[in-house]
Amino acid sequence: MNIFLLCGLVCFSALAITMHNLLKSAICLGVASIFLAVLFFRMGAPYAGVFEVSIVAGLITVLFITTIVLTKREGGVKERKLTNIFFLLFFIIFIMIDFFVMKGFIGNLPNMPVGSPNLAENNNFSKVLWQYRTLDLVGQICAIFAGVFSVLALFRADKKENNNE
Amino acid sequence: MTNGEGELLFVFIVLPLVVAGIMPLIGKLSKKVVPDILTNLTTFFLLAYSIIVGKQIIFSGIYTTKFSWFGEPMNISLTLDGFSLLMLVTISIVSFCVTLFSIDYMEHYGHKANYYSLLLIMIAGMNGLVLSTDLFSIYVFLEVAAIASYGLVAYGLGHNELEASFKYLMLSAVASGFIVLGISIIFACTGSLTFSEVAIGIHLVNAKYLVGFCAALFLMGFGLKAALVPFHAWLPDAHPSAPAPISAMLSGVLIKVSGAYAIIRIFLNVFGLTYALSTVLMYLGLISIFVGAIIAIGQNDMKRMLAYSSISQIGYIFIGIGTGSPLGILGGLFHILNHAVFKSLLFLNSGAIEQATGTRELDKMGGLAKQMPLTATTNAIGSLSVAGIPPFNGFWSKLLIIIALVQTQHYAFAVLAVLGSVITLWYYLIIQRNAFFGKPEEIWKNVKEAPFWMSCATVILALLCIVIGVTFPFVIKTFLVPATDILASGVSYLYNFLGY
Amino acid sequence: MASSTTLLISILLPAVFAVIVFLIPSKLRALRNAFSLIGAAIVLCLGFYLFGVKNAELNIPWLGMDINFDLRLYHLNSLIIMAVSVFLFLITIYSFVKMKEHPRAREYYTYLFLTVAFVNGAVLANNFVLMVFFWESLLVTLYGLIAIGNKEAYKTALKSFILVGFCDFCMILGIGILWYLTGSLNMPLAPLDPSSSGLAAVSCVLMLIGALGKAGVMPFHTWIPDASKDAPVTVMAFIITVIDKMLGIYLFVRISLDFFVIGMNSALSMFLMILGALTIIFALFMTFVQNNLKRMLAYQSIGEVGYMILGIGSATPVGIAGGIFYMLNQTLFKGGLFLSAGSIEHRTGTTDFDKLGGLRNKMPLTMICFVICAVACCGLWPFNGFVSEEMVMHGAKETGYIIFMIAAWIGTALTAASMLKAAHSIFWGKENKELSKIKESELLITLPIIVLALLCIVFGVHNYLPIVMFVEPIFYGYTGFLEHSGFTAHALNFFNPVAITSFVCILLGVIVYLYGWSKNSKNAASSSESVRSFPVLKNIYNLAEAKIFDIYDQGLKFLKVLGYILYYGVDRVIDFMYEKIIAGTVRVVGAILRFAHNGYYANYLAWCIGGLIIIVAVISLLS
Repeated sequence: MNIFLLCGLVCFSALAITMHNLLKSAICLGVASIFLAVLFFRMGAPYAGVFEVSIVAGLITVLFITTIVLTKREGGVKERKLTNIFFLLFFIIFIMIDFFVMKGFIGNLPNMPVGSPNLAENNNFSKVLWQYRTLDLVGQICAIFAGVFSVLALFRADKKENNNE
Repeated sequence: MTNGEGELLFVFIVLPLVVAGIMPLIGKLSKKVVPDILTNLTTFFLLAYSIIVGKQIIFSGIYTTKFSWFGEPMNISLTLDGFSLLMLVTISIVSFCVTLFSIDYMEHYGHKANYYSLLLIMIAGMNGLVLSTDLFSIYVFLEVAAIASYGLVAYGLGHNELEASFKYLMLSAVASGFIVLGISIIFACTGSLTFSEVAIGIHLVNAKYLVGFCAALFLMGFGLKAALVPFHAWLPDAHPSAPAPISAMLSGVLIKVSGAYAIIRIFLNVFGLTYALSTVLMYLGLISIFVGAIIAIGQNDMKRMLAYSSISQIGYIFIGIGTGSPLGILGGLFHILNHAVFKSLLFLNSGAIEQATGTRELDKMGGLAKQMPLTATTNAIGSLSVAGIPPFNGFWSKLLIIIALVQTQHYAFAVLAVLGSVITLWYYLIIQRNAFFGKPEEIWKNVKEAPFWMSCATVILALLCIVIGVTFPFVIKTFLVPATDILASGVSYLYNFLGY
Repeated sequence: MASSTTLLISILLPAVFAVIVFLIPSKLRALRNAFSLIGAAIVLCLGFYLFGVKNAELNIPWLGMDINFDLRLYHLNSLIIMAVSVFLFLITIYSFVKMKEHPRAREYYTYLFLTVAFVNGAVLANNFVLMVFFWESLLVTLYGLIAIGNKEAYKTALKSFILVGFCDFCMILGIGILWYLTGSLNMPLAPLDPSSSGLAAVSCVLMLIGALGKAGVMPFHTWIPDASKDAPVTVMAFIITVIDKMLGIYLFVRISLDFFVIGMNSALSMFLMILGALTIIFALFMTFVQNNLKRMLAYQSIGEVGYMILGIGSATPVGIAGGIFYMLNQTLFKGGLFLSAGSIEHRTGTTDFDKLGGLRNKMPLTMICFVICAVACCGLWPFNGFVSEEMVMHGAKETGYIIFMIAAWIGTALTAASMLKAAHSIFWGKENKELSKIKESELLITLPIIVLALLCIVFGVHNYLPIVMFVEPIFYGYTGFLEHSGFTAHALNFFNPVAITSFVCILLGVIVYLYGWSKNSKNAASSSESVRSFPVLKNIYNLAEAKIFDIYDQGLKFLKVLGYILYYGVDRVIDFMYEKIIAGTVRVVGAILRFAHNGYYANYLAWCIGGLIIIVAVISLLS
């Protein structure tokens, strides 16, 4: 199952980059990050997952889409073939390297220091969030604020235009 | 080392956040005046407070606060040491000048309250970043500052701004991804995220290649934030597109806090600067210096030229840090402070010129020195500083870096760094000649000097350029030596921190 | 200690007044005058107070590394501070009228006060770096003060900047060597023997160049006559004849007493005495043939530096005391003469001899003061110039080399002749019709001149007073000086061979003048023409007027030739390389890089990932 999720993640990420329509690429990125979040949850990293969902998949995607809608340009950037090929080449090389490194890494995963509170089995999400990562919570609040204000800021022109009309 | 009782350090994060939160409400009541005053008060308070707290640090060493909520201790620990303090003061100085500048400058953008709240969140994010003590917190606050900056870059809402913001966001997202990947691997290896435990964990597990891989990931992720070549591509678009005070903030502080600070802190204190890392840092720095400088020469857009120059100057910081010698680190840190001062000065000036003339094209300007004497003077001071002309501040930091390069026997690097400095002088002379001197253009006859608050902000920064330059022994002694000590002691700093 | 903070105040206060005066808009002249008067008065009081305090020290940590803000007041510098403050007060009063219409009067007053601040700093400094700091700052104000003169003044200002700057550079070099030798930047208490090692000698000579160049010794004198033409006369009177001489001689005394041991008849002493004698003879010969009062006085002041060097360089107690006393007297009479020249210029608009004449009835006060100062300058008994000149000559006599005395006597004769010429052509002589309606200058102009002239008389008649009060205490604490107490033993005594010879020399000067006068159809202004046409002197004069002896001009010529060679031999080549290689490379690389920044997202991402791969590779290879 995880493998499929991983494949989905990689596919959607690659799609997001190579897609010519900005809107579609933004949505792809959002989907990819949701895949990532699910992966996080499944692998027992709930707080990373929460973060991924709230920030990347949620806010950033919203921001993306707003931006793109506001640009009002269909199709957006036209890419040259060469750069795409270039990019794909690097991307594939990187995935290969990544694969080997990770394989080596997982094979020789060093022993974890025992007693680290974050790794205890019985931690549920809220406990993780409240007890051990309080500062991150503040950070999250900041981030949400930032996102909301950004959206507000970006939409203010629309209001102006509407008023003018 | 002292452990504080109260919420002292937490103020740096919470105060701007709270003010940002109530700002839209205030904005409903008063469109301009109250947000102006409130924001400036906040930034001024942060500046004053950072200096007050800083004094404590200088006298009594590292300072840690644990935050408690109604008497119940919470798992928030913030640490202020010399290095954090340096960054905190830098952030505070620049943000104060930027908010001062915004009073007049942001008039025509409208929705000042909204703008201020984003700016304050960015400041909160940066403050959080420099105070936090674990990798994941760094990441979170990095994102906070970044998200606020996306919104601010696109604040003009023109097509260029939005496209730049989008590009910035896309590349930043990739960087964030790699940072998270790096953090996860570290977490998997050591089972912890706090700097001190990670430092010890890495030492214990002895996984050289894995740490190297993580370092590469961090270098790419944070290096993208810091706009190191070849990860710099977003910067020349994003920085010129933002409103001038935001460009000043981004170029002056954000790239250093979210890029340079993170890299320096993690590499020097957590991983320990190995030969490989030092080499990579120095080469990246050198490439950045030249790529940034050479492209800057060909630019016609003033802000774009400044943006490329930022890339070049970031290169100096990294080349200094990369030497790993105390003097090089000192020079690098000094250059962080100096670059923050003069680059924000230059960006603010570019904003003043843009507002007065409506253009950023250098070949359209000319002879503005007569109409805008103050801006011309401050700009000249900033340009001379950045080009490293004595006795301005930029000279001393570059000198320290070059001396460190010679001391560590990187002669070729030293020569090239000097050469880069010459190229820098070249394109700043281009700015100065085209914009301020040269033939006065007829169309600019009615151009007026920048409004009061804008001039005020630039004059403060220009004075800082001179004051830091003249009293550099004092600045080095009070601010930079404590920071350098912490970095130069490397990983052992954190060992001591835990009492090992 | 209260008096130690006063040291700091004596530097800061003039600077504060400089700022205040600068901030007052040019239109509010009365306000500016009021503030300058108050400032000058306070500085005057402070000067007298410090002279009363005599001994004080202030030490504040400054730059670290043994470089402290270290001030020390003792007799010599308290004397200079007092003298400068007196002159500042006089010149401020004088300038109210003289600089009234000057368009850049505001800058002038600012520089004036700044100069005083820097002078106080320079003489008080007890640390070489601090002294150099103030010393170099003086260079800037000197440049500024000369440059506010007439249209050509900036060229002269540049010339003086470069010449004095060169001397200062030598001084810094000398200090650097001294630092290397002693390892301390604080003013050393144990003097070094320059003959002990080559380096010490070099250091001593370099520092001497710095000190004497500031005072205007040959061959670094050429900017002074030029400045007399271009700079405002007040600047000439105050800065160049008073401050620069005082500072130069102050440092000279410090060098010869505190920093180095210059023994009597040592090589260095001989060198200095030869230098002094040459300066006297050359400058005073030039003096005699000048046809402009200010220019003449400028050359004369150079010659007088020669006397001081001769005196102090003789390394005998009498000589050193005489040199210092001569410096004091010179500031009095030469200041008075320059101010008189200013007074004449103020009324007539010129100081050329052939345009002036018969002013004795029209400007009686100026005339009387001028004559007193001129007579003092010639060294006639019982004026102050006599005493100091005698002391210098006795110093020279003690060394046993009569030749230096002969040089001094020749100088005396020439001074007398040229002063006579000046007084004759200005105040007597044929009256110029255009000047028939001239009146005496305002009181504010004549007052300072009267004060100076009176001081000339007082210091001459009661010469015991300044010597005991001002000169003698300088030598407290130096062994081998107090034994010679009673420098005045022969000073008042007119009847000693040296003094009588001097008197004869003065008579000789008068005869030379009268001879020239009668030879040149009884025209005072051209009386020196016959001297000018003496066979050997003629050639020398022609060469001097062609600026052959001007090292600045010669230097410029040399630089021009060098520049020509460098331009074609090196510059063009480098330019070619620069154009074709560096700029070309930058252009091409820049174009490629700009082309690469094409704005495509995938492109940028490709770089990022490519960069990451390379970094991973490098790190894994290296670690």
